Amino acid sequence: MTSREWSGLAAALVVLVAVFSLLTDHFFSWTTALALANQAPESLLLATGMTLVVITGGIDLSVGSVLALSAAVLGLLLADRGVALPVAAAAAVAVGALCGACNGWLSTRWRLPSFIATLAMLEMARGGTYLVSESQTRYLGAAVDVLGADLVGGVRLPVIVAALVVVGAQVALTHSVLGRQLLAVGANDEAARLAGIGVDRVRQMAFALCGALAGLAAIAQTTRLSAADPNAGLGLELEAIAAVVIGGASLSGGRGSVAASALGAIVMAVLGAGLAQMGVQEPTRRLTTGAVIVVAATADVWRRRSRA
Amino acid sequence: MIVSVLALGLANACSSAPEAPSKPVVALVMKSLANEFFKTMEDGARAHQAANAGRYDLVATGIKDEQDVARQIALVDQMVARRVAAIVIAPADSKALVGVLRRAVDAGIVVVNIDNRLDRDALAERSLTVPFVGPDNRAGAKAVGAAVAARLQRGDKVAILEGAPNAFNGIERTRGFEDAARDAGLVVARSQSAHWETARANQVAAAILTEVPDVKALLCGNDSMALGALAAVKATGRQGSVLIAGFDNISAVQALVASGEIVATADQHGDRLAAYGIDYALQQLSNPGSTPADRTTPVDLITGQPR
Repeated sequence: MTSREWSGLAAALVVLVAVFSLLTDHFFSWTTALALANQAPESLLLATGMTLVVITGGIDLSVGSVLALSAAVLGLLLADRGVALPVAAAAAVAVGALCGACNGWLSTRWRLPSFIATLAMLEMARGGTYLVSESQTRYLGAAVDVLGADLVGGVRLPVIVAALVVVGAQVALTHSVLGRQLLAVGANDEAARLAGIGVDRVRQMAFALCGALAGLAAIAQTTRLSAADPNAGLGLELEAIAAVVIGGASLSGGRGSVAASALGAIVMAVLGAGLAQMGVQEPTRRLTTGAVIVVAATADVWRRRSRA
Repeated sequence: MIVSVLALGLANACSSAPEAPSKPVVALVMKSLANEFFKTMEDGARAHQAANAGRYDLVATGIKDEQDVARQIALVDQMVARRVAAIVIAPADSKALVGVLRRAVDAGIVVVNIDNRLDRDALAERSLTVPFVGPDNRAGAKAVGAAVAARLQRGDKVAILEGAPNAFNGIERTRGFEDAARDAGLVVARSQSAHWETARANQVAAAILTEVPDVKALLCGNDSMALGALAAVKATGRQGSVLIAGFDNISAVQALVASGEIVATADQHGDRLAAYGIDYALQQLSNPGSTPADRTTPVDLITGQPR
């Protein structure tokens, strides 16, 4: 990512923060920053996973449902079965990875467009969630408290984990073989194939990672809410896609940056928190959110066009 | 003599035999089966049918999420096409379902409204009378609000986390909370929708706690939102100084209400709600001339340990 793209997104963030600080009494405060940070992990993790898939030219519509399924499994294991937290957490991530792998398998082995494969997974994972949870919210309380412990100045463990994942994924994308392969597959899969890259294997890897990150996001959300809600994650896939688009990734693949998507996720989070803090009602919230997505994406298109 | 009695008995048996399969079919059309509340409602209805298997057959359906109004309208149309005797419905939208229910009534189907009350004006516009059998959400919420107010001072600030903006039961609960606040001289500093969801409620509650630092209570339109609000209060370390109340008494909050972490909730006996509606529909079927009238079902205030 060039410094120019950084500056565009950073400027958008500064403008948003400034506007909300003017319009409310307490937005520009440590409390708000802390609340934002502690709410951010699942958005950051989902945006990271989504970026990996989008870079290969795919899309994953199932992440919200997969998050709910992983959360339901976590809730069931902890609340009903008394399974130890590390085991339950590993199971939640495994469930996510399995759903993602299934998405990858459907879209590579059976050549289903990922839009369709993951749309099917969106339904199936939600259905699975209702079965696993018997449609009941589970309160976990102390069982997950250890994961929600304050680390540095009120910042919690999931935030640190999410930040590390973002940084790690960005470095891997730009400096590792798999990262280069992801970009190559998305840019031109035929050329990638001729260059000897296992295109299907790379795509499968992207979907599996995306699913696993949805599982990790489920742990973050469950930790924050002390509860596993069968309706968790409704619409989160669209928020993740919005973050990736605001971050400037190309939905046709070959271009994208995890760090920029993370900034996009932060823009969405600031917007959500700011509007909630202003106390705006639902219609205004949705209209504004849509408008910001349009403005951010348009700005990105113009920036590219002016450079070309 | 004996022979003629036997013959009469046989004749009776024969004449009643063809009627046995024409047990009325009652369709229960619910909202999201994903929501524990409707799951409980469905289980209650099935138990009721099992206990009254001789009186009616049950078709229970629901939609995949509470916002899917179009799907619910399609479901009602299917039930009309299936010529069920009665439809007991928890409408996903208080107005949008009125049109299709008019078609049902025109087709001679008995319609009973449960859970979420149909909009009076929309009904009047279609000159339709549909009896509502269900809880008074406003009175229930008012009782919950009063239980919270009893622990506060006049002039204290409270905030309301509303349900989905298009649901009448959500609107009624908001009104009930407002009634309680007015009666106790509390100030409603904020009233925002969190769409019945835990994660959304968490975000909205966190914003309110920041922006209205002296807020003393968060009154939530359902228990899922109360859980999200509780997490937000805990995150700011203000347990005890910000009271939380919910509605529905779902199993996930029962321990929290007992321990006082959630001050109050309301139980509208979800397991019996559908059964009340079905009973009323059966009563109307067996008594076609009767004028349909609303019926209020009980809502109980649930609080934990007194201070």
